[in-house]
Amino acid sequence: MKESEIVSVISRKLVPYILIFGLYLISYGHLSPGGGFQGGVVLASGIILLALARGTDSAQKLFPERNLRIVEAKAFFLFLFMGIGGLVAGGYFLQNFLPLGKAGEVPSAGFIFFLNLIIGLKVSAGISLICFYLLKGE
Amino acid sequence: MKLKLLGEFLIFVVFGFVLIFGIDFIPPPPSGLKNYFVYQGVRQTGAINLVSSIYLGYRAFDTLGETIVLILVVSGIVMLLEKKDKE
Repeated sequence: MKESEIVSVISRKLVPYILIFGLYLISYGHLSPGGGFQGGVVLASGIILLALARGTDSAQKLFPERNLRIVEAKAFFLFLFMGIGGLVAGGYFLQNFLPLGKAGEVPSAGFIFFLNLIIGLKVSAGISLICFYLLKGE
Repeated sequence: MKLKLLGEFLIFVVFGFVLIFGIDFIPPPPSGLKNYFVYQGVRQTGAINLVSSIYLGYRAFDTLGETIVLILVVSGIVMLLEKKDKE
């Protein structure tokens, strides 16, 4: 299939902003609408746009499949370790063991901020991995 | 054919009536839990966004299950589509 110049240029200019917007949604998840799942899907949509417009091979130069797999697997264990941290601090599983901080600031709300980061990375890696495999099957 | 259509229409009407009357007779949900989350949520979890404070604060174990579902989906798709490449 012949590549369209317009689609290629627009997608390359658009993808960084989509990725930044996804990171914003993740890191402000405890203050405004958004959060790990939504921000992760927005991040993945940027990667998928790159893969659709430029082909999966050139998208995998920026986001190698092996790294996505590693993020997907390790983020789950990070989530589990955050849960076990509550047990170590002397409470229950998945207890908020970090200091809460002042409500309304960006690094506040204890481990909700970090869980949002972990979930966002995990969801974006998982969704883009699924789409890479489905696009490769053609 | 016409009889089948009539039967489908009858089923449609009956279920519609059941659902309309069901809406009226359901009592309003108890507001105690809702008030607890609204008034204590920010102080207990530190998150202004109440949705975040519920799904990562009060119901974090449920979110752990969701991440397990996602990792199972991804590993299933990788397993199914990788076999096709090797053949």
